[in-house]
Amino acid sequence: MILKIEGLVKNYGDIRALDGLNLEVKRGQVYGFLGPNGAGKSTTILSTMGLIFPQKGRIELFGSEIFSEGKYNEDNLVEAKRKIGYMPEHATLWDFLTPLQTLDIIGEAFKMPKSERIRRSEELLKMIGLWEVKNKKVGKFSKGMRQRLLLAQSLINNPELLILDEPMTGLDPSGIAEFKNIIRELNKEGKTVFFSSHILAHVEEICDTVGVIVKGKIRLEGNLETIKHEFLQKAGYTIILETTKKILFDGTGWRVTPLGEKKYRIVTSYDIREELHDFVASQGAKILTMQVKEPSLEEIFLEMVE
Amino acid sequence: MMWGFKLEVKQNLRTKKFWVIIIIMAVLYVPSFYFMKSFFLQSGKHVTNEAAMSMLISSITGMTSFFVAILALLIGATAINSEIEKGTLRIAMSKPIKRLHYIGGKFLAHSLVLLVALLFSTVVSLLGILYLGGSFTTQLVVDVFLLNMLLLLAMIQLVALGYILSTVIKSSNTALGLALILMFVIFMIVPSIVNFLAIKNTINTDMGEMQKLQKEYTTKYLFYDPISQVKVITQDVSTTLSKNPQEVLKVRYNGVAYAIRNNLMNFAHIIWLTILYLFIGFYRFVKMDLR
Repeated sequence: MILKIEGLVKNYGDIRALDGLNLEVKRGQVYGFLGPNGAGKSTTILSTMGLIFPQKGRIELFGSEIFSEGKYNEDNLVEAKRKIGYMPEHATLWDFLTPLQTLDIIGEAFKMPKSERIRRSEELLKMIGLWEVKNKKVGKFSKGMRQRLLLAQSLINNPELLILDEPMTGLDPSGIAEFKNIIRELNKEGKTVFFSSHILAHVEEICDTVGVIVKGKIRLEGNLETIKHEFLQKAGYTIILETTKKILFDGTGWRVTPLGEKKYRIVTSYDIREELHDFVASQGAKILTMQVKEPSLEEIFLEMVE
Repeated sequence: MMWGFKLEVKQNLRTKKFWVIIIIMAVLYVPSFYFMKSFFLQSGKHVTNEAAMSMLISSITGMTSFFVAILALLIGATAINSEIEKGTLRIAMSKPIKRLHYIGGKFLAHSLVLLVALLFSTVVSLLGILYLGGSFTTQLVVDVFLLNMLLLLAMIQLVALGYILSTVIKSSNTALGLALILMFVIFMIVPSIVNFLAIKNTINTDMGEMQKLQKEYTTKYLFYDPISQVKVITQDVSTTLSKNPQEVLKVRYNGVAYAIRNNLMNFAHIIWLTILYLFIGFYRFVKMDLR
């Protein structure tokens, strides 16, 4: 297990940002951390990085306990940070430095030798497409360029775990596509990626595991396919009857919308495929076709949020 | 610790506020020395080396401490909150650096930046002394060094006070505004009132009595103001011997070391409050949410 969070509680005054959060990220996963604004995504990440102080709970990174009983173990935290790359949300880098100087000074924080810093900086700036502007001050960069540099700084130490907080904010469509490719490539190299977003399409495309956080609690966690399968039962069913017959759905608890004389749309909170056949038969009719619409991650997410 | 130090030195020496203050100081020094020289020429007074040194001390403690104090308070008051606002602190603290080491490095860097500002003004003042007709001596160099160290201590106290503001007030603009208000109200208006009271209470006595009461009041009521404490200390750097304003300005030069020894209570006020402010500022930083 690369990251394990147990019962994490964080209050900002009267507001409970994390309400006993439990979360596990395994080595090699691309974990999509989904949630609406204010759900607690950034608070979780800030706690994992030791940047804020939760009131309760336990955090483990790379098998070492970094937080418990309201306190960080600074030695373990520093040791863990050597293996982490972190890209914060809404951050800028030092305006007076160039990308080369930025990566150099960040490499220095990891005590990388000068030659290694130079080699790695060049490699990363080429990878993110900022090599041409390597000597330009960051203060003159566009938002997209800053985001790219933020990603590069998070990779300088060749991290085992990459923590990205809303990383695609501010990127144009081509930047987003490149970004996704970079994450896929990094994952192929064996890196674990923990990636928060409220843009579901991004998560659906590149993550193999998803956790949905709502009001400071993980409401759903697991393999993307498994989640979709579990949610199938919450899907919508469209049935067409063999003959024109008015079916009375009263008392079933299902949400039914007639779409024509023979066509009905039914939405339920559990799997009713078999039950639906029996019910229609009990009213002297027969289902000709039944369509089950598989939910998108967006529908699952909205269901969770609601 | 050195990582935070290096980053902060680069950051401070490249910011506009540092250079604006340095340039303002330089611009104000030149005419002040010019007017001093004109005054001596017009009055026909001869400037002895001791008098020149006394002038140097008073110009550094007067003008420099004012400008460097503003710089110190501004640097301190925006040290943490502005970095949180920009997000650079989250980047820095996501690296394998302990919080205490980071703030320690920052503090050393701020001290160095203030020292650079002080040394700059000292060089300008020394040039001014040469212009006024004084000359370099070993004692002058030693005393300039001691004076700079004394001023640096006082300025560090203001930086440390700024750290507290910076960790308590989230908005750097609000902290900056409050720092300036503090600067003018607590460090300028209140000392003026205290001095006025000392003068009022010694209206019918001689100059010596008045200075004694001023010192007493400053030590007692302005213990939190490092600039006033430095001024009290530097008052004893020299003693004016000329009784008649028409005669040659005669000054007995006692030196900075003597002045410090003679005003240990004032020196202690600078030290203990600096330590206290630093402790509170560092503690707040180590325990605060960086969001």
